[in-house]
Amino acid sequence: MKAWRLVAALVLLCVVAVVGMGIGARHVPAGEVVRALLAYNGSPDHIVVLDLRGPRAVLAIAVGAALAVAGVLIQTITRNPLGEPGILGVTAGSSFAVVVGSVLGVSSQYSDLLLAIVGAAVASVLVYSVGRVSPLRLVLTGSALTFVLSGCTTGLQLLFPHALDKYRYWHVGSLAGREQQPNLVPLLVIAVSLVGALLISRQLNAVALGDTVAQTLGAKVQRVRFAALVLVTVLSGAATALAGPILFVGLMVPHLARQLAGASVGWMIGFAAVLGPVLLLIADIGSRVLLPTGEVPVAIVMAFLGGPVLIWAARRYGRVEA
Amino acid sequence: MRNLRLVAAAALAVVSLTACGGNQEAAQPEQSQTRVFKADNGDITIPAKPKKVVATGYAVAALLEADAPLVGISEFKRAVPMYSDAHKKKYQELPKVAGELAKETNYEEIAKLDPDLIVLGVPKPALADIDMKKLTDIAPVVAIGPGVPSAWREVSRKQADAAGALGKFDETKAAYQKKADELKKKYADVLPKVKMGHVGSYGEVAKGNFMNEFNGSWGTSIANDIGANYGEGAKAEGAKGVSEYPSIEQLTEKFKDAAILTYSNGPDGNPNAAVKYVLDNPLWKELPAVKDNKAFGFSFTEASTFQEALKTLDSIDKALAPLLKK
Repeated sequence: MKAWRLVAALVLLCVVAVVGMGIGARHVPAGEVVRALLAYNGSPDHIVVLDLRGPRAVLAIAVGAALAVAGVLIQTITRNPLGEPGILGVTAGSSFAVVVGSVLGVSSQYSDLLLAIVGAAVASVLVYSVGRVSPLRLVLTGSALTFVLSGCTTGLQLLFPHALDKYRYWHVGSLAGREQQPNLVPLLVIAVSLVGALLISRQLNAVALGDTVAQTLGAKVQRVRFAALVLVTVLSGAATALAGPILFVGLMVPHLARQLAGASVGWMIGFAAVLGPVLLLIADIGSRVLLPTGEVPVAIVMAFLGGPVLIWAARRYGRVEA
Repeated sequence: MRNLRLVAAAALAVVSLTACGGNQEAAQPEQSQTRVFKADNGDITIPAKPKKVVATGYAVAALLEADAPLVGISEFKRAVPMYSDAHKKKYQELPKVAGELAKETNYEEIAKLDPDLIVLGVPKPALADIDMKKLTDIAPVVAIGPGVPSAWREVSRKQADAAGALGKFDETKAAYQKKADELKKKYADVLPKVKMGHVGSYGEVAKGNFMNEFNGSWGTSIANDIGANYGEGAKAEGAKGVSEYPSIEQLTEKFKDAAILTYSNGPDGNPNAAVKYVLDNPLWKELPAVKDNKAFGFSFTEASTFQEALKTLDSIDKALAPLLKK
């Protein structure tokens, strides 16, 4: 049953991706979209579909999968249903690094990508070194670092207004205009990390039951938690580097995945890796059609979708506890 | 002897005071000469011949080149590559009273300089970021900023006029006009007959769009003076009426009728990231003008004075020279 659901989700992903490649500022007839995919001839229509919207769809799939799977991992190891990748300070670390780069005059698509990854890594190392003792301490340390880094970022923006000018474009996550940036390495990193997440899913099933039970079942809790944290950092750091900060995917998709997969972390990872991209592709289509001219950054569309889902999740868990 | 010294000192003091009084009286008429100047912030009474001027924004370039009596300026880095060596030196030496943005104005620094006129060369919307009360407590303030990009011609003249430095300004303007007329004749057979398109450099690559500039924009208004026609933009006020930011997907649609394409280069002759994003896009190669080898980049499109615009004309002439080859 779960397998069929996953296949259906995959079919949905393909449909949404193709529909997304047919929608944009330039009108391309549906038949031409299919022809571009099957028999590319280099015409402007085909260039728009395959060279502009194609990479954008690939980016949405990779970023959506990375953030959603990172969300599953973080919710599992912290046993906190409201956990999301940003809780470890990863997003704040990336943002801070990009602003520092702007202040120092290091500013290009390449440098932003690198700085975002380095910022994410440094932030999560700091959080892990302080909060590795328990999930609660981990979350608290991550939240504290997020606040500190956000404050520093705002301070730098006030002191160096030109950094604010640059940062205001970066800090609202978007998939537009990213087709020329060097995406290959982050995409490969995400692919490898997704496989890594599946490989540790069996041990995560045990960790999800609590440290004591997990140890009784023979799981090496600290080692698994460390591996999961590394994966969360790499996945969310690479996703943020590719598209800028996009919230809520890592929060809401694990809940949707849990509805379809039940308690199995492995299946949750599988569903999240498919549903995250579906959600981001839909939000990206929304970002292109909501305004008569221009685009709404996908992070804003996602925030509109994410708010109600957060309320839904909070109500649902309140009911369970009652 | 002691009394004699006292008398001599008293006499010297009286003579000195009389002399000072005489100077004050002589200077009085000159200092008190004022005039009413029409600025963006209203009709302002300013000194007829200011002696100590503080300039910000676009007024920095205009007043440096007009050799106005500047005592302090804001940062205005965009114009630095277009200055002569002497003006570059002066720009570096003058005390900086503000950053690049109006909200970075340092009121205490301005007060320290004790100017008799402050010329704010910022667009009207940016005036909201300035505490006018604080500034007018220091000296008369005239705000003279561009509403549309091509207005730099009138704006820079007005700024020089306020600072009492029109002499050199008119000289430079005449040199520009002469050069523009020469080039207009030179390109009379190729430019006015065709529609052109221009990719501007103020776009934001991360948004997946490009800057399309029409007649009268930063990238086009100087080329307009030699007969280039980039068509008319939307009916809107300010920069929105002379430029737009369409999605990169619309590149071929926007420039399908352009027989010649131009784009803004940086001062080093290379395109910046926003323009490079367009030039590297596969759709760029599909444009008729590009296929016809009629795409040219030129520098100094951010010129906001006639002295700077002379450099723009040189760059345009160099870029468009292939059009004259038969």
